[in-house]
Amino acid sequence: MNSAERFFRRYIFSTIGIIALFLAVNLLLVGIFFMIAYLNGVADSNFPIEDFSNHITVKNEELTAGTQALETLRNADAWAMILDDNGTVIWEDGLPKELPREYTATDIAMFSRWYLDDYPVNIWKRPDGLLVIGFTPGSVFNHYISTSTAYIWPLCIGIGIAFIINIFLMIYLFLRNAYQIEKSMEPILNGIQSLSQGKAFCLEEKGELAEINAGLNSAGKYLMNKDNTRAEWIRGISHDIRTPLSIILGYACEIEDNASLPLSTRKQAKAIQQKSEKLRTLIADLNLSTKLEYSMYPAKKQTINIIELTRQVASEFLNELPEQYEIEIAEDRPGYPIFLNGDGPLLYRMLSNLIGNSITHNPDGCQISVCVGLNVDTCFFDIRDTGFGIDDRRMILLNRGTLISSTREEGNGAEHGFGLKIVQQIVKAHDGKIYFSSIEPHGLSVKIELPAVSQRGTFSQIH
Amino acid sequence: MNDKTILVVDDDMDLLEMVESIFERAGFTNILTAVSGREAIKVWKDQQPDLIILDIMMPGLDGLSILKEIRETSNIPVLLLTARGEAEDRVTGFESGADDYLVKPFHPKELLLRVKVILNRAYPQKNRKIYLESAVVDLEKAEVQRGSHQFPLTGKELTLLEKLFENAGRIVTTGSLCGAVCGEFWQGYESTLSTHIRHLREKIEDNPSKPVSLVTYKGVGYRLNIKGAK
Repeated sequence: MNSAERFFRRYIFSTIGIIALFLAVNLLLVGIFFMIAYLNGVADSNFPIEDFSNHITVKNEELTAGTQALETLRNADAWAMILDDNGTVIWEDGLPKELPREYTATDIAMFSRWYLDDYPVNIWKRPDGLLVIGFTPGSVFNHYISTSTAYIWPLCIGIGIAFIINIFLMIYLFLRNAYQIEKSMEPILNGIQSLSQGKAFCLEEKGELAEINAGLNSAGKYLMNKDNTRAEWIRGISHDIRTPLSIILGYACEIEDNASLPLSTRKQAKAIQQKSEKLRTLIADLNLSTKLEYSMYPAKKQTINIIELTRQVASEFLNELPEQYEIEIAEDRPGYPIFLNGDGPLLYRMLSNLIGNSITHNPDGCQISVCVGLNVDTCFFDIRDTGFGIDDRRMILLNRGTLISSTREEGNGAEHGFGLKIVQQIVKAHDGKIYFSSIEPHGLSVKIELPAVSQRGTFSQIH
Repeated sequence: MNDKTILVVDDDMDLLEMVESIFERAGFTNILTAVSGREAIKVWKDQQPDLIILDIMMPGLDGLSILKEIRETSNIPVLLLTARGEAEDRVTGFESGADDYLVKPFHPKELLLRVKVILNRAYPQKNRKIYLESAVVDLEKAEVQRGSHQFPLTGKELTLLEKLFENAGRIVTTGSLCGAVCGEFWQGYESTLSTHIRHLREKIEDNPSKPVSLVTYKGVGYRLNIKGAK
């Protein structure tokens, strides 16, 4: 799963989470509302009629309401009356004058459900009649529901199903939209990723995001052109230097070999020759490093017997090896070849740079060992020397993959070239890994792991 | 070998002078030069040199075009000496018919070595003999003379000795030796190679268990130390 897919998965899950949270919060708020309403009696549109009724008692054969009950009635801005079984008002308090004092059974049936002359009313059955509490018009909304029970259950289930369908529809539409956005955004995000890695890309310039795609394409082309121009410039410069350097190197060698010349002149010629050779290496390294950095090196990978390649590198060094150095080659499985899919000249350069590095940085001499082996489907190299090694700070930087530039070291003035940088670039170009470590009592170990070709298949094929 | 005629082609006069000087100091007496493609073709046709050292990038007719024209009628050895050092340039060079490829800036000794190897391969000397510490190998007769004893060489032993002699004084890897005997698909031949080497040592060394002429470099290959070669 790439970063764009991860982003959209996270986006979808977070949105589903937001919807769930939204529903939960709303249910909670509604619950809280009803709870508060219940606790404060707001939800109860009915006057505390039962309580009020209990406070109306017969005293001296007359109905009398208690002071507290009357105060409650006043506070509710309401009026009250009690009708006997004939519909006659036998007690009243605050009853508006315009209202009749006698009611028929039809009147009572009508206002008990709805309104009495626009006054919303509540009723309560008493032993001596019917208590009616009337409120200010518009202060209470009366509603009356009369539905067949056969209809109620399907209605409830229907509401539930409709709710669930709505939720699913919402999720489906959301996922569809997210998928469409992902589909149109993914090439753009991949383009940005390619841009950051300096790789070539071309986005289709159509649809709603055509302008963005076109912008990214131009940015990519601009950066690639810039990289190409830089690489070509370096290539051109290194090419132009080669012929003059050949002449310098050639004549310096001739002067050095000319026994008839004074010794001091020959020494000077030798210095020129050594520096020319260093320049030659630097030019080649700069050119290669630039190409690897801008992914311009042609991928000409082929099956390579890495054991034989290691022998070739070692033999080149052994042919000209000063006495103070020793090089040993060890095979993990002697007599068996190890194959990997790679660029031969680059892998040759990788090993050559590492052995050369051990020689260059240990002028007093050291033992160098190169072990090559196979671990399941990984080819490994362990290049060790018994030299000075590398200080902890640089070791950490190297293992972090921080590329070394060809600069002068801070403080001590020691100069180093592109050697390790190129090694890291070559390992990266072969999808491998590289580890640097110190060895006891002193020295450096460089372990490299590269994907190997299926050994059984290749070996049997060759036989 | 030093009597061979070498034609050096490059558009840089200073480089031509330098290369001429290198060969003259090495004992070569017949060095021809040309500063353009047309001139190179003319000199090649008129003087019939034994080897051509050819630059690729030249104004007008470039090195690869010259090489193609030469290859239409001749198998003369050609070494490309050029500033173009990319892998694909080398491939193009070899595909065009070059015998070797050397990238500028070059070490004069490397140029001389390569030229000698090409000349030895292209114009093998008659009665070639390898003079070793304890024996003399006659490559023409495929025979070793050690003291009063004569030992015939098998075909594979001869091939191995020729390969080692081509690179005398330098290590030849196990793979290169196997490749010389078996060709491209030599994997698995290494144990057989050590048998051949043992047999060779029995013929050329006084004490095969302590070889001085055919030395092993453990894990790498072998080196032939010659006393002198004619």
